[in-house]
Amino acid sequence: MDPVIKFHPNFNRRDILKSSALALLPIATPISSYALNEQQPVTANGGTDPYPIPWLDKNGSHNQPAGSNLEPSHIYHFKGRVARCSTFTGMGTDNQGDRIAFGSPTTDYSVMQGEYWAARAAQQGVFTHI
Amino acid sequence: MFRGPAVPANQIHDFHPPISPSGLYWVVAVPKDGLTISPDGNTFTLEMQNVPVVDQPRWPALDSIATPAGMTFKIVWKSTGEPVKYDDGSRHFRFTGTRASCQLEAQVEVPSIGFSRKSDPLNTSKCDFAIIGEEVNGRYYES
Repeated sequence: MDPVIKFHPNFNRRDILKSSALALLPIATPISSYALNEQQPVTANGGTDPYPIPWLDKNGSHNQPAGSNLEPSHIYHFKGRVARCSTFTGMGTDNQGDRIAFGSPTTDYSVMQGEYWAARAAQQGVFTHI
Repeated sequence: MFRGPAVPANQIHDFHPPISPSGLYWVVAVPKDGLTISPDGNTFTLEMQNVPVVDQPRWPALDSIATPAGMTFKIVWKSTGEPVKYDDGSRHFRFTGTRASCQLEAQVEVPSIGFSRKSDPLNTSKCDFAIIGEEVNGRYYES
């Protein structure tokens, strides 16, 4: 008993040839992919940019307000030196000669220097939040 | 920056780096020699020139237009010696350091609209909150 004839009685020689050609596609595709992969760096472990602090602020951003008992760093998985400040006030002059104030309770800056974890490895860097 | 009292209605410029694709918020890498820490660790001086930023005058409105701008600045933190320690197990961070004073001078420019502005000298600025020290967070918190 021929199982092809039994279960697919409408198959003919042309259908079988079409199916065979389609079956080869998954094999053919990786060959072109290999050439592409040789040209592009692999980032299987992720990039080396720092991770943001995971918690969101009231605007839905990974921003960290400055203040007592609040996270000073803007980088997660970090250990090192940090400086933080906020609530600046000052004055300046624009190119029209007008005096302009700067600063508010949310005018904040920080700098972070040390080790952070990214791309599944310890990295070294200095970053600032401005 | 504000024309008049520092309330949202008077805001005319807001300069900051773009948010990165990862969500890293207004953070840029500091070039070598950009940060100087005194040998005793009590003074941090951060200086950077021509940092690419955007001007979003209506920030934090979600439809605030961003215009390319540049920023040059100097920030100086000085420890007051008053100890500070934060330890938040729920948010996985620990900070040990001191309170500090902090002052800033900056120059910004928005070439496409012909705007620039220079702050008064460093010693004329003031901030109400500053700290310097050491921190661990995330995967380093438990170690």
